[in-house]
Amino acid sequence: MFPAPAKAVTLPAMLDRVLILSVFVVASCGLAYELVAGALASYLLGDSVLQFSTIIGCYLFAMGVGAHLSRYVRDEDALARFIDIELLVGVLGGLSATLLFLVFAWMSAPFRSVLYVVVFLVGVLVGMEIPLVMRVLNRHRAAFSELVSRVLTFDYLGALAVSLLFPLLLAPTLGLARTGFLFGMLNVGVALWTAWHFRAELGGVSRRLLRGGVILILLAGGFLLSDRLTHWAEQGLFGDDIVFARSTPYQRIVVTRWQDDIRLYLNGNLQFSSRDEHRYHEALVHPALAALPGARRVLVLGGGDGLAVREILKYKNIDSVTLVDLDPEMTGLFTTSAPLVALNAGALRDKRVKVVNADAGQWLEGDVGSFDLIVADFPDPSNYALGKLYSVPMYRLMTRHLAAGGYLVVQSTSPYFAPHAYWCIDATLREAGFQTWPYHVYVPSFGEWGYILAGTRPGFTPPSQYPVATRYLNAATTAEMFRFPPDMTPPVVEPNRLNSQSLVRYFEQDWGQVIR
Amino acid sequence: MRRRDFIGLSAATLALSACEPLARLRGLGIPLSVLRPGMADGHRLRDAIKLPEPGGELSTGVAILGGGIAGLTAAWRLAREGYTDFILLDGPEPDGNAAATRFSVGAENYAAPRGAHYLPLPSRESTHVREILADLGVIRANPQSERPEYDESALVHSPEERVWYQGAWHEDLLPTRALPEAEAAQHRRFEALIASLRTARGADGRKLFAIPIVESSRDPVWRALDRLSFAAWLRREGYTAPSLLTYLDYASRDDYGAGLAGISAWAGLHYFAARDGRAANAEPGAVLTWPDGLQTLARGLGKYIPAGQRYAGYALRIEEGRNGVRVLCRDKDGKVYTLNARRAICALPLHVAARVVPNLAGYGFDARRHLPESAPWLVGNILLRGFPKEQAGVNLAWDNVVHGSRGLGWVVSTHQDLRAARPAHTVFTTYRALADATPRAGRDLLQRAPDTELLALALEDMEQVYHPLDLWRRMQAVELILRGHGMAIPRPGYLDNPGLAALRSTDGRLLFAHGDLSGYSVFEEAAWWGDIAAQRILKG
Ligand SMILES: Cc1cc2nc3c(=O)[nH]c(=O)nc-3n(C[C@H](O)[C@H](O)[C@H](O)COP(=O)(O)OP(=O)(O)OC[C@H]3O[C@@H](n4cnc5c(N)ncnc54)[C@H](O)[C@@H]3O)c2cc1C
Repeated sequence: MFPAPAKAVTLPAMLDRVLILSVFVVASCGLAYELVAGALASYLLGDSVLQFSTIIGCYLFAMGVGAHLSRYVRDEDALARFIDIELLVGVLGGLSATLLFLVFAWMSAPFRSVLYVVVFLVGVLVGMEIPLVMRVLNRHRAAFSELVSRVLTFDYLGALAVSLLFPLLLAPTLGLARTGFLFGMLNVGVALWTAWHFRAELGGVSRRLLRGGVILILLAGGFLLSDRLTHWAEQGLFGDDIVFARSTPYQRIVVTRWQDDIRLYLNGNLQFSSRDEHRYHEALVHPALAALPGARRVLVLGGGDGLAVREILKYKNIDSVTLVDLDPEMTGLFTTSAPLVALNAGALRDKRVKVVNADAGQWLEGDVGSFDLIVADFPDPSNYALGKLYSVPMYRLMTRHLAAGGYLVVQSTSPYFAPHAYWCIDATLREAGFQTWPYHVYVPSFGEWGYILAGTRPGFTPPSQYPVATRYLNAATTAEMFRFPPDMTPPVVEPNRLNSQSLVRYFEQDWGQVIR
Repeated sequence: MRRRDFIGLSAATLALSACEPLARLRGLGIPLSVLRPGMADGHRLRDAIKLPEPGGELSTGVAILGGGIAGLTAAWRLAREGYTDFILLDGPEPDGNAAATRFSVGAENYAAPRGAHYLPLPSRESTHVREILADLGVIRANPQSERPEYDESALVHSPEERVWYQGAWHEDLLPTRALPEAEAAQHRRFEALIASLRTARGADGRKLFAIPIVESSRDPVWRALDRLSFAAWLRREGYTAPSLLTYLDYASRDDYGAGLAGISAWAGLHYFAARDGRAANAEPGAVLTWPDGLQTLARGLGKYIPAGQRYAGYALRIEEGRNGVRVLCRDKDGKVYTLNARRAICALPLHVAARVVPNLAGYGFDARRHLPESAPWLVGNILLRGFPKEQAGVNLAWDNVVHGSRGLGWVVSTHQDLRAARPAHTVFTTYRALADATPRAGRDLLQRAPDTELLALALEDMEQVYHPLDLWRRMQAVELILRGHGMAIPRPGYLDNPGLAALRSTDGRLLFAHGDLSGYSVFEEAAWWGDIAAQRILKG
């Protein structure tokens, strides 16, 4: 079957061999990219017969387009264009698997489109390769018909080699991303080799070699780092770079400003308005701290805006405040953004404050010492995961870290709008072994809002004066907070048990009625 | 042939071979491990012509052979009563069916069960289980009362379970609300029957269906149900609703490793009627579970064993002599020695005991007639990065079941974590009893099927529910655990198996303890026999 080797007319034997070897490599690469794309798509999308047949179809069509386009290359440019195309195929084909992986990891919708665009482009380029090689050979007046058959032979041999190597060796050992990079490097290698050997008749060889070298290094880097590359790209995924709106892995943070009113929204829920947040935060912190004149260590769970910390830092007796908030973006924002830092009076930058980004439950399970006051300023219990923050096991964990005679204060949604949820939290704290002193305050932007003060010893008297400056709290408003008017009588509720998560259900029902 | 044709053809050939999941795993670089606990050792023993000679000797007061729940409970009881002159020999798998796995990803560890994963609230009769739970801190107060108070982190958190039925999730395991009225009526009738059986007592005044099973009533009217298959009983009672039968078949495979036609009607009703435990702080029917399944309990029991008295090693032969029991053991390095004990507890699965206790017939157990059939099981642990996307507004539950599937769904190992945010990774544990044909055929499959096929079985349910695109991109590692003899199957007639009865009452130098002694295997039964054996030793 193999035609006997014929002598090339003008081409030196060595160059001849180089070209033929290039054909072999080029052919291998051409098939490899198609296989990589097909395998990747069937791994990721399933239904491999569908994936392979559509990809093959697209690829073959693209090769046809490429072959057609190659006619528009002028004869004298054929060699130079061939080298350019090799570089391009090397980059595009080499990166294709990783690129598709990344696209897939982030967004599933455009994955198919990107897949077919990549397959098509690689196909077009690959389709141009062999016709261009033929024309280069033709130009060197090689015995054309013999050469054609030799080129085709090596073309088939290259394809055969890859079709065997790919499923048996390359995909299982290197994985798809690395296989892609490997063939990319081979293509670039061909480009470099060809450029070097035909340096006599090509202009700007050093520029070509430099370009090829850079691409080769990039691909080699990708080959070595392909695991980490995927990982990095994932981490940098979230967030459009608007200063005050950011999606983090945990939530969407939006800060708005209208005249002198700054508002924070998490997942669309208002967290505070700078006009009246002092009411919320004074009420959260001062009744407990004013009753603990000897307090030194305070723990704030949630509350990444630093506003509760601001209130705590007013007490000179406090040596240390630990703030545990899940979201580094949140604490970062309130440590660096000027208007927000102005709002929390630089609380998160204070020497006495330590910021920890962790899940409160996980952090409390560790050995973290004990605190005179624990402030639980968590988001409302609007889903099962958040419901766990208001559970007996969670409160027991807190007890473990509460100093003797210390207090726990829990933001507890609205006793007016969500009475079942509010009193459920109270019942849960009692079930966990706490004494409780429920109270509430009117925050204009929220409405009537509730807290529960809890301790392990009996006897708490609401403070009649405060040792620090307050805007809202005084003896009268404090006394009022601890009284519940007749239209806020506690309903009968069960404690929040994780087995039934009654709190989440109460919360949904209560607020469902308000909204209606 | 032109270049394009050639490329097209070779790629198409490849396509056909690439669709199977193993190739996909490899292609995506996901590591797969396949474990067959006890199989190599067991088959070596089965095929051995001659046992090796011992090279040394060791002696102890009591030898506990087998480190499953039965053996561990025996050790717990002995140690708790101050009797510490014993050694526990683990065998091929410490913790047995209650073993677990740990995946580490960076600094995080993710535990998941390799077998047993939950314990129903113990019934009033399960005083031994309540005692264990109180010792381990799982019951916080009033362990023997009607409604003890449990540690909530172990009570399964809501949402507990859901079923995938006709392309959507439904709460609980019965899609009752989605059914036509005639079918729903049968569900209600069955539920009402079970509710009445929960409290019903036999002519002898005992509960009809109790856990441990030996505490159940002997009333012959009800014991007669043991002569019928569950399928036959359901037919006789006019239960024909396909959705009900599918659900009951699922329950039967889930608890006993065999379908409706393969289990005793008495066992089928026992599954539902015997679990009547209550808690002060949970709904009726709640279960206890931990990220690593029941290994938390196994570990808690194991802590009672004094340091240095838990041995890795394998019992090759157990023989009663004049002064005690001689156990030929092989340690983990292959060295063989004799363990001399005044008394021994054989806490091995019965199919192993049948090989290593030459004189088993002398205790009244004839393996050929009395050995319960055992069900082969396949457990898959799938480590995932993040969580697959659920349908809008639907919450992932702890137990997730596909109605009508041959698989038994999956449980979520991170479900009980006290976390506000979802962990970066999780493990889904999929279960499947190979109950389609005979147990032997199932074991053949486990032994010979290519990894590809096993993987496909383990993933079947998840692949039905999740977008494969989403599922596969999250998979980080897969572990398959093949248990050829997972648990004894309660075939019709199992209640009156005279061989089991004989082993249960043995009280000589060699005692027996294992879930198998009850004719079916759950934690409560395994612990019961371990406890009974230990108490016999303490008495005398
Ligand atoms: C897939 C699966 C899921 C299950 N899920 C549950 C569940 O959710 N809840 C539940 O209550 N029950 C479940 N079970 C039942 C489970 O079997 C029991 O809960 C319990 O773990 C059985 O304990 P055991 O001591 O009787 O036996 P095993 O767990 O079988 O322990 C036998 C022990 O003997 C050892 N051994 C074997 N051969 C030798 C030898 N030659 N020498 C020395 N030692 C030896 C083994 O290493 C092992 O430690 C499940 C079982 C299976 C198979």
